[in-house]
Amino acid sequence: MTAWTEDHRAKGDWPDFRAAKTGLSRSENAEFSPPKPPRPLPPLPTHLLIGFLVFAMLAAWGLPPCGGAAPADDLELLEQEAFRAAVDRVAPSVVRIETVGGLPRVGRVLFGTGPTTGLVVDKEGYIISSLFNFVNRPASILARLPDGELKPAKLVATDHHRMLVLLKVETDKPLPVPEIVPTTEMRVGQWTIAVGRTFEGNRPNTSVGILSALGRIWGKAIQTDAAVSPNNYGGPLIDIHGRVLGVIVPLSPQSAEEVAGYQWYDSGIGFAIDAEHILEILPRLKKGEDLYPGVIGVNLGGRNLYIGEPVIAACHPNSPAAKAGLKAGDRIEEIDGRKIRRAAEAKEQISRRYAGEKIRMVVLRDKTRIECEVELVPKLEPYEHAFLGILPMRTPGDQPGVTVRYVYPDSPAATAKIEPGDVLVSLAGKPIQDRDQMLQQISAMQPEEEVELGVRRGEQTRKITLKLARLPEDLPPGELPPARGEIEPGEGELPRVGTVELKVPEMKNEAWAYVPDGYHPDVPHGVVVWLHAPGGFDFKKFLPRWKSLCDDHDLILLAPKSADPKRWNPGEVTLVQKLLDQIQSTYTVDPARVVVHGHEGGGTLAYLVAFRNRELVRAAAVVDAPVAGRPPDNDPLHRLAIYLTTAKESRRADAIKRATDRLREMKIPVTVKDLGEKPRYLNDEELAELVRWIDMLDRI
Amino acid sequence: MPPGPTNRRESTRPRATARIQFAVWNLQFAVCSLLLAILGASAAGDPALAAGPSIAGVIAQVQPKIVKIYGAGGFRGMEAYQSGTLISPDGHILTVFSYVLDTESITVTLSDGRKFEAKLLGADPRLEVAVLKIEATDLPYFNLDEVELVEGGTRVLAFSNLFGVATGDEPASVQHGIVSVKTTLAARRGVFETPYRGPVYVLDAMTNNPGAAGGALVTRRGQLVAMLGKELRNALNNTWLNYAIPIEELRQSVGLIREGKFAPESPEEPAKPDRALTLQMLGIVLIPDVLERTPPYVDQVRSGSPAQKAGIQPDDLILLLDDRLIQSCKALRSELEYIDFEDPITLTVLRGQELFSLPLQVSAEHQEEAP
Repeated sequence: MTAWTEDHRAKGDWPDFRAAKTGLSRSENAEFSPPKPPRPLPPLPTHLLIGFLVFAMLAAWGLPPCGGAAPADDLELLEQEAFRAAVDRVAPSVVRIETVGGLPRVGRVLFGTGPTTGLVVDKEGYIISSLFNFVNRPASILARLPDGELKPAKLVATDHHRMLVLLKVETDKPLPVPEIVPTTEMRVGQWTIAVGRTFEGNRPNTSVGILSALGRIWGKAIQTDAAVSPNNYGGPLIDIHGRVLGVIVPLSPQSAEEVAGYQWYDSGIGFAIDAEHILEILPRLKKGEDLYPGVIGVNLGGRNLYIGEPVIAACHPNSPAAKAGLKAGDRIEEIDGRKIRRAAEAKEQISRRYAGEKIRMVVLRDKTRIECEVELVPKLEPYEHAFLGILPMRTPGDQPGVTVRYVYPDSPAATAKIEPGDVLVSLAGKPIQDRDQMLQQISAMQPEEEVELGVRRGEQTRKITLKLARLPEDLPPGELPPARGEIEPGEGELPRVGTVELKVPEMKNEAWAYVPDGYHPDVPHGVVVWLHAPGGFDFKKFLPRWKSLCDDHDLILLAPKSADPKRWNPGEVTLVQKLLDQIQSTYTVDPARVVVHGHEGGGTLAYLVAFRNRELVRAAAVVDAPVAGRPPDNDPLHRLAIYLTTAKESRRADAIKRATDRLREMKIPVTVKDLGEKPRYLNDEELAELVRWIDMLDRI
Repeated sequence: MPPGPTNRRESTRPRATARIQFAVWNLQFAVCSLLLAILGASAAGDPALAAGPSIAGVIAQVQPKIVKIYGAGGFRGMEAYQSGTLISPDGHILTVFSYVLDTESITVTLSDGRKFEAKLLGADPRLEVAVLKIEATDLPYFNLDEVELVEGGTRVLAFSNLFGVATGDEPASVQHGIVSVKTTLAARRGVFETPYRGPVYVLDAMTNNPGAAGGALVTRRGQLVAMLGKELRNALNNTWLNYAIPIEELRQSVGLIREGKFAPESPEEPAKPDRALTLQMLGIVLIPDVLERTPPYVDQVRSGSPAQKAGIQPDDLILLLDDRLIQSCKALRSELEYIDFEDPITLTVLRGQELFSLPLQVSAEHQEEAP
């Protein structure tokens, strides 16, 4: 383990490399640097060049390089020699990193004790590595230097965006710094070699593949099909000349968690942060500056980024976007001079930036081009929804505006003497079309903000100014008035009503839905997904408790059964998504009242479904289960409300209390129902109260 | 403490990897088949090519020496098949020693589809190697006296019946890759759940899947290099390891088994001394060991103890015991169990940002203080 440099010296190939490197002046070679033009090519064995000529000739004949003739075989062996030479060239800069202490598990990923890999990027002792190697928070870090010496290393700074860390060791001897490949020179299809130093022995471990893509993970990374894993995370991805293309890290386009992407290890999908970028951020990291992804604070419209127009659907109050004067409805035309056509392009241009960076945006508002500069921040203040204090009527085919169904006592609306039956016609000077449009408009406002509201009563319309409040957590006292008037039965064929059996292809779960007998396609129906407690489930016995509640409140009950009667599996989140999709495509669903309701293990799954489906699910009502997973940031457009129960003797009581505090810190409204001493499911009265809670989810 | 073997069963992820690996393999198989088809067509007209060192030629030479082995298993994720390599013209087969061979009727299928009942001649459990014999003559084979030693970076081909996909009479599957590194599995105790302690070739291809064990690793010129090992998890970083055991390491045992002279020994464990060193003898009290990997910080040093004489101080973090890295209080205690109380040791500690190497020895007067 300690003798690997001597080994190289003995063979005589390392001194060559050193000579080649020290041929440059000190200052030029002081840190991880791109070659100066004209780029000095590393000395290639002449037979290798002949090999390439052979390859070219074979290619001209249209034969694959491994096809038959002896020269092709030579080419293969010559390539093999080139791989080895490339690895030898970078090897002195690839260091083994050992850690002491640390957590055995982070999330669902088990952590061993290492070792892991790092790459020298500055002769003064700076080493870059993958954040993955340190997320288990080791007590101490050690680096084995090229001469075999073990040195304590300090973690200088972390890039939480590209998932890198910079380490520093004290050394009097300059460390060998590798040459890098400028990003513009990279070509998809070129050889790549992934290098790590995690196995006992003199040589680093290597795997070979090609460069699969550039600009991956929203422009952050390059991709390779060489095997990458904890065996080489933090090590370099090099080209066939031994120059560094990038530093290997696990990444995932779907998740920004610190361990995301690990599940793809050795799959042929691997990522590295390109070396030129590392060079760019190195001065900031050296100063000890931690880097974070830049956040702008807008929601882009549409459920599909790839086909959606780049239109701002909501601006978080106090966000960089709001401070720069951006508004909901603005269409993004350009970011830093790049034309933007689709929402995904805007996301890519913003997602690649760090907090603290400024971007120049051009947006189109009412046919006027508006230019602005936005400084991205690491984190938004938690968003809190503003509240007027009313429930809207849900009568289909109503006139424009929102008819007031109920006024919350002591709310801004009550103070302004708004009454049931009044019609809200304008907000902040803009006409109100319907409930959903009003909800979207109010999502750009914040509590304590003063707004002007147009209210029509009878023939008279008046303007009133009121100060918005926060969404309440308590239920209003007493029964609520009906949400809609009677409507005529619809004509034409209706979808199936009553108890309906559902099936998701390729999943073995049974599932049922109850659709009220009086279902009318013009009436938007809420959906309650029931996730039973472990121990089996009988829909026939369960339905009577819900039937009349569903009939009276325009609710569809959806109840799948877990595949394993003993427990729900996190993978069954997908089952619920697919069942909800089926319901939505068959029935008229009220997007403001889609609720996942679960007991014990079913409650845990309910949280997961709610957190992972922000576009679809508005609330989770959970009986005796702790929060599973990380709650999402509160989102202006996609409201989330939580109803949960506590009981003194529940073994989950502490976890539920902590979760409640955390959710409230994130400004998510939490309604807490105290069930007394023993944990249990709701009685009939409490169930009716829960349905009332669901009935007011479309509060404004 | 590195996680024990239970992690392997607890985790649901490995099967997912296996599926990915399967998909990758499938693709490789398709590519190889295509290649074979193209080259087969051209080789048919030119015998020199068929015998030449091209990848197709090499595969054509090696394939007849690889066999599929069927035996016990077939439930609870234990596959009832593995791979083997012919090592004599009269039917000696090299394979891994496993539960698959734990049956009276072992069936061997040659690459041309012929099937034989096989006899288990013997096995060396330390190396997890076994030799089978079928009644046949004039078979193509690898001579174990003519094997290649290779280094990291060497291009290799792996032959095996991974996932049992060669279901009919067809030959085993071929994968390509490089030797990632030559290393040894013995370096740290408890890291690899296998009795084998010795050099291995780690591979960058997904070779070690169910049923692949016993397959052959050859160079791109078709020379035998190593035997594919069983599925194995690397506890250092919780990854599945793709590896093969050099023939060099197996040759002697295989020779003895063939001659009927092999005397089985149980796997060796490093011996613990009768009286091992303890922290108490050294005069070191560590901080309370409350985590799974509590870093071994010194809490107190008994006055007049060997540790105090050596210069160890409270708050030092013990990093090395001799040249072995110590990653937790538990690891330090278990390493000490292998050291005789009279032997001198060196502890390397981290104090601030500096390392100090401090030699210690327990003298007669101090051992009295031990319980």
